[in-house]
Order: sequence, then structure tokens, then C-alpha cells
Amino acid sequence: MSKRYGFVMLVYRCIDCKACQVACWAENEVPLGKTRNWITRDGYRGTFPHLSVDYLPGNCMHCDNAPCVSVCPTGASSKREDGIVAVNYKKCIGCKYCMVACPYDARYFHPEKEVADKCTMCKHRLAEGKEPACVTTCVGGARVFGDLNDPHSRVSKLLRKHRHKVLLPEQGTKPSIYYIMERPQEGGNLE
Amino acid sequence: MPKQSHSKIPTPQPGETFHWNRYFTRRQFIKGSAAVLATAAAAAGGIKTGFKENQVAYASEETSGKTVAIPTICENCVWRCGAIAYVKDGILTKLEGNPEHPNSRGKLCPRGNAGIKVLYDPDRLQFPMIRAGERGSGLWRRVSWEEALDFTAENMQRIKDEHGPEAMIMSSTHNLTQPYFENLLNAFGTPNYGTQRSLCFNAMTIAFTYTYGIAQPGVDYDNCRYIIYTGRNLAEAISNSETQKMMEFAARGGKIVVLDPRFTITASKAVEWLPVKPGTDLAFFLAVNHVIVTEELYDRDFIEKHTVGFEKLKEALQSYSPEWAAERCEIDAGTIRRIAREFASYRPAAVAHPNWRTSNFRNSFQTQRAIAILNALMGNWGKPGGLTPEGEESGPELGSLPQPPYPKVRAPRLDGVPWKYPLVPLKYGVIQEIRDALLTGKPYQGKGWLVYRQNPLMSIPERRKTLTALKNLDFLAVIDILPNDTAYYADVILPESTYLERWDPIAPAGNKLFLRQPVVEPLYDTMSGLMILKELGKRLGLEDYFPYEKEQDIIKAQIAPFNIDFDELVKKGFYEVKESEDHEMHFQTKSGKVEINSSLLESVGEPGVPVWQEPPAPPEGQFYLLTGKVAQHSQFTTQNNQWLMELTPDNPLWINAAVAKRLGIKDNQKVVVESKVGKVISRANVTEAIRPDCVFLAAGFGHLSKALTIGYGAGVSNSALHETNTDKLSGCQALSETFVTVKPLNSEEIAGGETS
Repeated sequence: MSKRYGFVMLVYRCIDCKACQVACWAENEVPLGKTRNWITRDGYRGTFPHLSVDYLPGNCMHCDNAPCVSVCPTGASSKREDGIVAVNYKKCIGCKYCMVACPYDARYFHPEKEVADKCTMCKHRLAEGKEPACVTTCVGGARVFGDLNDPHSRVSKLLRKHRHKVLLPEQGTKPSIYYIMERPQEGGNLE
Repeated sequence: MPKQSHSKIPTPQPGETFHWNRYFTRRQFIKGSAAVLATAAAAAGGIKTGFKENQVAYASEETSGKTVAIPTICENCVWRCGAIAYVKDGILTKLEGNPEHPNSRGKLCPRGNAGIKVLYDPDRLQFPMIRAGERGSGLWRRVSWEEALDFTAENMQRIKDEHGPEAMIMSSTHNLTQPYFENLLNAFGTPNYGTQRSLCFNAMTIAFTYTYGIAQPGVDYDNCRYIIYTGRNLAEAISNSETQKMMEFAARGGKIVVLDPRFTITASKAVEWLPVKPGTDLAFFLAVNHVIVTEELYDRDFIEKHTVGFEKLKEALQSYSPEWAAERCEIDAGTIRRIAREFASYRPAAVAHPNWRTSNFRNSFQTQRAIAILNALMGNWGKPGGLTPEGEESGPELGSLPQPPYPKVRAPRLDGVPWKYPLVPLKYGVIQEIRDALLTGKPYQGKGWLVYRQNPLMSIPERRKTLTALKNLDFLAVIDILPNDTAYYADVILPESTYLERWDPIAPAGNKLFLRQPVVEPLYDTMSGLMILKELGKRLGLEDYFPYEKEQDIIKAQIAPFNIDFDELVKKGFYEVKESEDHEMHFQTKSGKVEINSSLLESVGEPGVPVWQEPPAPPEGQFYLLTGKVAQHSQFTTQNNQWLMELTPDNPLWINAAVAKRLGIKDNQKVVVESKVGKVISRANVTEAIRPDCVFLAAGFGHLSKALTIGYGAGVSNSALHETNTDKLSGCQALSETFVTVKPLNSEEIAGGETS
């Protein structure tokens, strides 16, 4: 079976340090003021001193049913067999339809290349046998990357074992980025 | 080769006078990939600063057009993570963690990742300069290295001849070149050494040294089951490998208890967050120890075999019941009792973390002693899941270059060590006392200050006082990579190459020796710290103390005891030494045992066991001013980093939501924060995540140097607000003993502005 890449975000393990963002900026030469990935804060819930908060790492959701792909007038955006939603810069005319269509606000307009740019899952790194830059550097170990089609991959095991969700399921986008919100129990294990 | 700058303002030529603000602020920001390349060799004036001597290991015709990976060591904080630099045609494109390095384990934090923007910072010091107007006027003259070094050495020598060597103060940040900085200091003959230690974790390192003989023990996270952190916020004050291990520990279901007045990110990961009242964590630990001793939950065998003074502890703890503590620390007595029992039930896999600064009160030394003793009661030293004796100074013994003995020091230290602070190690010192001694002229008048990659103006409390002290100096010289605040008021600036452009001495980590090496050629007319110090030493007649021609000579001497090929070390970036099998239970204390009762403390007339010391509390209408870190910044050094500033551009004042409502303060609204010694205008971060009696400002912001075009004007300085309160035992500055008023900004305040 072919590979189908995706992320599992172990939300509990995200410490909001944003190393993933800086690593991505360097790896992908993202222009200042733009970003391909992010961390959003969910909380604080409650009032002092009964509080909780979660930090959700994010990037392009590489949707199976990607609105950016369906609105693209030139075919520049496409869903690849390996799960990556890719942008062909040569075909992109910078019309920004995809930016409007994306419910996750995952794209930005590249001021020099004049294209709608976004996360590529670091496909150039995958080709070298490396993980995406954001995953490699993730200090808390929140970002897990792998082949969703491989039942032995860490992402598959995590998804089998833990309840998970996708963001904005009501949009019907079928993202390839899954979120595990569970906190470890004492003596338990989040793996 | 990197593209030339598009800057409209030409780089000043040697001898040319320029205005700093104008020169720096009108230049455009330059992206890393199109960095400025000054003509480094041109102004060298006979000194070999160029890369002929500093040859980058991998730059050659073979590598043209290819990306090469060069192992080195990060320097965006003091954790010294192994990094791999990816360089293409002389341009640094990426930094990653080195999987071989135990401190990075293949990952870098945001600051480490942003090291590229240190190298390509548009405001970097590009050449030596001498002040050409009043101090702080921003008028400078570009000079040759020869002139800058001569000028520095002549002034140092003049001060020595006229007032004695002790009139010269020398201070350095914590870095790999520091031993050679200490060489210059000691050879010159001044006892006046300033480090950041007393503004940082002196209380912890001294408390653990006097208890275990090791300043900073580690934690065996792999086998641990229960950890109590006290004001230690590893999720935001990132110590890369330890932060990783903490999160692995937590994900495995290890129990974390956090004592902190703020709901930090670490607290949000904890099983239990205890929003302790500032300064009273001491009461909590005295009570936990009380429960463990009275209920006999401790490791009797360890206490009998490896400790001294248990009986004295038992007696001293009698009155510190959980009920007694609850009245002070505002943690329920039942909770204290439960945690004590629970914690002890996991021993030896239970650790009360040595932390960093705990609550930042004068009583923090006592708190740290109580924590050190709690670990002894658990008998966790060297046991699976306990404290590990891996101090910062541990590791293989390196070779060194021969040098003459130092001259005898002829004067007492300005900072009162040891005549006022008998317990503070000479290598740590009490830097805030140096500032005060400059103002009082007692015990004698300091005249000159050489500052090595440190920023006393931003770090020492009561900034206004520090500025006066610096302005009163006869001579102020700064070695740095950025035009920082202290440099702004200096007479001469010696620009150092960044950590990505220079060689440094070897840094051991565990049983491996790691190398910091240049990954690109120096972009500007800068030198390594090692060569700057040598050149100064030469001019001061102290050449024998710097017996090296180039940096590599030091490294070669360091690795001489091992069978290492230098070129292989350069290529691989590290060398693994065989681990010693020495696991004997011996402690480098006076008694050779764990000192529950400290004979040293008794010898200076202090109680040998921890005792309650009442912390001051804010009067009605005032707040504790807390300080701490954010994951995107390192102290005062990263606020000019384009990437990190994009993530965290300022330091708003955290204030409790209910309190803010009462004071009529809305989120993001401007507020006036005032202490006894200063006033700043900040922006409110109205939040549930802090105690109602506290406000919080992250450290590092509020720079005075207009030459930092990204960092200047961003956020506020808490040094402008901090009062000077020093613990007489550890010399530690009590950063949380400053109380402030907070009110919404009104029009008259706008006219006044920041007063410090």
C-alpha cells in the first residue's frame, strides 16, 4: 500500500515554546511576518485557582477533502497520493481563492514568490528520510509524524489507542492532522 | 559568497566618526540569506583577525554549491546544546539539535533554532569603536583593532598604576571562554570579579554545595515517579534536555507537583498546582519535612550511614506542623500532610527538584536547604529515580596549557566576599554590591570596568543607580556581539565574533567532549573572546598567561590527555571518553557526608539546620512583583532577534482578572507600575493565571540602547523597578521582594513617561 502521511498532535505534551515555528521558518525560508505553522492556546478555562489550558500545535491539515484544492482555478493545489496537499508554484497565479477557502487559515501569500504558500510536510526532508522540521525539533514531543497507512507506525498506534479528534469536523474537510487531548493518568502512559 | 548589503548608509571607514542611532536605525533589515559582509581583513591593522587563522573546517572548493553539516555548540542560553549547522556556500541556512549531544538530544528550543538571526542580526557590532562624544551620546569613531586594544590596555594600566589593580572591575557572563577571562582578571591582580550568579541561582547552588558538596545535582528522570518543582518552570525556562525529560516523565504518568504563584505552562502540565504565597515555600517544605520526620517516613539507613545532624533537624522541625505552615503559605494543612506522605511513599524515586531560584526571597537559601534535606530524607542520592551527582563541573578532566602562578591579591573585594558574605564562593560573587561600592566609594573607589558579554545595566536591580555608577567610572570597556545597553555607555567596544563564527574551549557533557567551532567565516571585523583576551594580556605585560597563538592551541592542549585526533574532533564535533566506574558514596563536604546540619553555617554563627525566616509582604494596595522567563527569550540577550521578537515582542504585566476589574484595568490597557525605586508604563495582560496579590513581568525587555533597533522600545525593564535586597548568606538578590502599585495610565503620566 502507498504511504499516507499525517500528524498526531499529543496536545498534553505541547509546551507552547514555538520551536516548531522557528524551525519551519528556517527550513522553508518563510518570509518575516508569515508562518506555515502555529500553536494556539485553548484557555484558560475556569477561574483562579481552578484552571486548565491546552496548547494546540497546527499547520496545514492536508485535508482529504481540501477546499483549497477544489477552489483552485489552475490546478496548482492538489492532493497527492501520499496525503500531502501540495502547491505547484509554476501553476499558481496568486488569486488567493484557496486562502479564503481554507477554514484553518493555513495559507499565506508569499510576497516575493507571489504564490499562496503553506506547509508541505517538508516533503524535501521526507525524500531524505528525515521528519518534518517542526517534528524533529519539537521539545515537548507533541508533534508526531508518520504513515497513517502503516499499522505499525507510531501515529497509527496512537490513533488506535487513544480518543482523537480533528479540528472543525463540521466543515467536512477530513484533515490528516489528528489531536489527542488526553492527559496521562498517574502511572499511566500517553504512548 | 553572501550578497552585498543593500544598505543606503555606508559602513563607517576606519577613523570615521558616526552617530550610532542614525547609523543603525536607518539601515534596512537584512534577511539571513542576503547578509551583510563587511571587509573583515581591511581594518585589521596587523592583527590576524581574519579567517586565515580561523579557517572554517569545511569551507573548500569541494563543498561549493553543496550543503554541509557542521557540528558545534549553541550559545543562545547557558545550556550548551550540541547543534548541527547547515551551511551552503558560506551561508548558514539551518540549525538543528545534535542527536549525539545529551543536552539537546537532537532538538533545539526556539532560541537555538533562531541562532541564525544572531549571526545575521542587522545591528551587530561590526568593528571596534571608541567613544567620540559624551557617554551615551551615540557618537563613536570606528578604529582599528590595534587602536582599540591599545586604548583599552592603556586605560587599564593607567588605573592600575594610579589606584592599584583592584580599582579595575572585571565581569563576565557564564561562557566557555570564561576561564581565560578569569586568567586576565587574576593575572592583572584585581579581586573584583562580577558574575551573574547572585542575580540568579546562588541560593540553590550554595545550599546544595553546603549540603551535598555538589552545586547542581541532576534528576534521574527515567526512573523517577514523583517530582516537586518550586518556582521551576521548565516548560518556559527551557533547559532543553531536562525540559524534554520532564515532558517524557509527565507523559509516562509521573506525578508532578508545582509550587508557583502563577499558573505557568509547567503548572498546567502538573497533576497538582499549588499557588503558594510568594516567599512562603520555605514554610511548605519545613512542614513536609516535619511530617516525614515525625511519622518516620524517611530512609533510616541512608540517614544513619551518609548524613550528619539528623537529631538537630528533628528538634528544629518540631514546631513546623502543617497547620503552622498553612497559615503562612496558604496551602491547606491536609494537602501538605497528604503530599508529604504520598511523596515519601515513592522514595527513593521521589525528588524535590533543586529548582533554580524558588521564590526569589532572601529566605530562598533556607528554602533550598530544606529542599536539599528533603531529598536526603528520601535517601534518593544516586538511587534509581533520585538525584544524580552530575554537577556542571563533572566530566572528564581536560588538559591545560602551562602558565605562571597569579600575583597575590592586595585588597579586599568590593562586593564583600568574604568579609561581608563569608559563605559566597569567590567565583560567584555578589555583583549588585559592586555597583553599590562604586556609588559609596567604600571600601575604596572602583575606577574602571571591563565587561565581557554581560549587561550589568539591565541585570542589576535599581537600574537608575547602575547607570549613575557606570557614568561615574573613569573607564568602561565592553566586549560583546551586540550594541547592548552597557555598551551604549562605554568608552570602547571590542566586538566579538558570534558563537557561529569562532572557536571556544572544549565543553564536556557527560562523558563526551564537545567542540564549538566556526560554521561560517566571521562576517565582520570581529575577533573571538580568546584572542581579544590574549591581545589585551599581551599589552598589559601578561602574555605568559595566554600561551597560545590561536584558539586551536587551547583545544589541542585540552584533548592532549586523550587519544584524540584534532581533525577528527573537528569533523565529528565530539569525542567519547570511557565512563569511570566510580560510584562510591562520598560527599565533598567538610564531614564527607550529607550535611543536614551544616557545620559551615554554624561556624559563621547561623543555625545549622533550616529555620523559618519571615518574608516581607506587600502593604495594602501593593503587589508582589514576580519575574520569570518565557521560552522565546534568554535574559537580556535575545530581544533583538527578529524571529524571537516575532513570537514574543514584549513583556506585558500579568494581573489577576478580579483585581484588574476592581482597579478598572482592561486587557491590553496601558498601566503605570511603580515601586520605591522606579516607574514603568506597561500593558496589562489580564488573566486568571496569577494570584490576586501578585503581578508578573518577564525578564529581558525594556532596553535603553537605541542601537538595538528591534529590541529598543519593546516592553519594560523590571530592573528599573527592582529594589536591591541581598541575602546575607548566599548573596542572592531577592528579586520578588519588590512591591509595586499598579494603576491605569492617565494623561499626566504620559507626559512623565518612563522614569528609570
